[in-house]
Amino acid sequence: MLEYKKKKLDKAQIVIGIVMGIWALLILFPFYNAILASISTQREFSRNPLMLFPQEVTFSAYSYLMKATSLMTGYRNTLFFLALGVPFSMLITVSTAYVLSRPSFPGKKIYVFLVLFTMYFSGGMVPIYLLMKEMKLTNSLVGIVLLYGGNTFYAILIRNFFQSIPHEIEESAKIDGASEMLTFFRIILPLSVPILMTVILFLAVDRWNEWFNVMLMVRDSNKWTLQVILRNIVYTTLDDMASRVVSVQKTYYSLSLKMAAIVLTMAPVMIFYPFTQRFFIKGIMIGSVKG
Amino acid sequence: MVSAQKTRRKKNGLIAQLAKNRTVYIFLIISLVWYIIFCYGPMYGLLLAFKDFNARKGILGSEFVGLKHYIELFGNQDFYQAFRNTLIISLERILFEFPFPIIIALLLNELRAGRYKKTLQTVFTFPYFLSWVVVGSIVLNMLGSDGVVNNLIALAGGDKQQFLASKSFFLPLIYISSIWKTAGWTSIIYLASINGVSPELYEAAMIDGANRFQRMTHVTLPCIRSTIVILLLLAIGNTMNAGFDQIFNMYNPTVQSISDILDTYIYRITFQTSGDFGFSTAVGLFKSVINFGLLYMFDRIAKMMGEEGLF
Repeated sequence: MLEYKKKKLDKAQIVIGIVMGIWALLILFPFYNAILASISTQREFSRNPLMLFPQEVTFSAYSYLMKATSLMTGYRNTLFFLALGVPFSMLITVSTAYVLSRPSFPGKKIYVFLVLFTMYFSGGMVPIYLLMKEMKLTNSLVGIVLLYGGNTFYAILIRNFFQSIPHEIEESAKIDGASEMLTFFRIILPLSVPILMTVILFLAVDRWNEWFNVMLMVRDSNKWTLQVILRNIVYTTLDDMASRVVSVQKTYYSLSLKMAAIVLTMAPVMIFYPFTQRFFIKGIMIGSVKG
Repeated sequence: MVSAQKTRRKKNGLIAQLAKNRTVYIFLIISLVWYIIFCYGPMYGLLLAFKDFNARKGILGSEFVGLKHYIELFGNQDFYQAFRNTLIISLERILFEFPFPIIIALLLNELRAGRYKKTLQTVFTFPYFLSWVVVGSIVLNMLGSDGVVNNLIALAGGDKQQFLASKSFFLPLIYISSIWKTAGWTSIIYLASINGVSPELYEAAMIDGANRFQRMTHVTLPCIRSTIVILLLLAIGNTMNAGFDQIFNMYNPTVQSISDILDTYIYRITFQTSGDFGFSTAVGLFKSVINFGLLYMFDRIAKMMGEEGLF
């Protein structure tokens, strides 16, 4: 090992450790604050602004959210969106990766151009909306699933992995009489599990966080995903504030209710992230080494 | 006989090639159908930039109007404002946000590997995986009139502030919250690059009497230069986007004049006010073309530097 790593912690390391620790606390504080605000009463919140240790705890905001808002419908819709969206995206993305990874075949140049060109140029928001409308795919989550199909960036990540598999493995499978299809499913895919896991996790987070196209295209609020419903809960009162119009018809959500909605929306990511972190980091390492 | 066989094989060359590669073509069709419909379909919709959209006649049937939308566009104050804001915000993001992940990576690298460092990394990278809807909500509530920050100000005897409705606070808050959310994650890319630096270089530097800071600036930084340049070029390639997700979730009419970017502008004129699809497609095409130029330039420079380019 290096000498400077063997030595005891020196002063500089202690200072750096403290500075980084403060930055970590600054990142954590808003979450801590959101969680505490979600379980405290309005009175408590105004009396104890920093909210480091709450005295009165109530879960009424959560029970109200479960009963009186569509947040639970949002959960169901988001899970549906994930369950359908991730496999569909994997189908398109892995297919793309496989074709990109193959040595030359007639038409490869055109195909590669068509796929890569989409990373440089896109039709943009309005044509996508009109296309979806013409195909009668708006107002349905299945439509959004189809729209989000392939992801060229992840396809390249997977292609790089496919190409790093030693050629001899494939050759020997061929000699043993395995077809290309069989080789793909029995040899290439199982060997690529680490990168596939990484991409599945990235896609799952992307789908969990999806809000824009659902907001834009899905009119029926019964089909809204969690993020769109959260937006609706948090921003209704805010829009009023900004335009200085006090609207009586709109429901007023108290601060604790908004915070509880935020907590419920991010809870799954919060719970799963520490366990899956290494896959995400592995993915970005592979991407950056190649990139 | 032999030559006849040869010509037959040649004639059947393409079919034989197709048959030989049939597995590839199965996957190719699955992939290509999606790309054609959902990526190239909208590109064909860009024709609308030169047409007056008529919902009954559809994209193809609508009437050609040539450059009418562009003439209108270049005389439009709101468009100039959005374009200018997009450029300013992107430039300021590069100035203020770009260095942070590098600093975090350099500092983290000085810490000894262990549980503390691991925990720090988990905390730093976590917010990246939340949507801007969630982060925007958290920021809005923290800075809102009942939020912690205003409560503290009130406690200290100050006046409550409408932070996000203030033209002097809004943009700095956009940059700070973006650093808060993404700097930790980006620092992982730099850390990966730092891990690749040969330990011998550090040893040599130490023999020469370089202290910790000198090792940082004279060994680590030069060694990760290419990663820095690539990410910088990528940020420049992203100029026209300026962070739509974030701004859309945090902006409001009061600060529109400084925060309206091309995407929020397109969204507003299409879905909230006029609904002139031809005109907004023209704005979108303008944006896409400049974007293409920037990304193409990025790719060229990256390849010139001997990098693979991102694509």
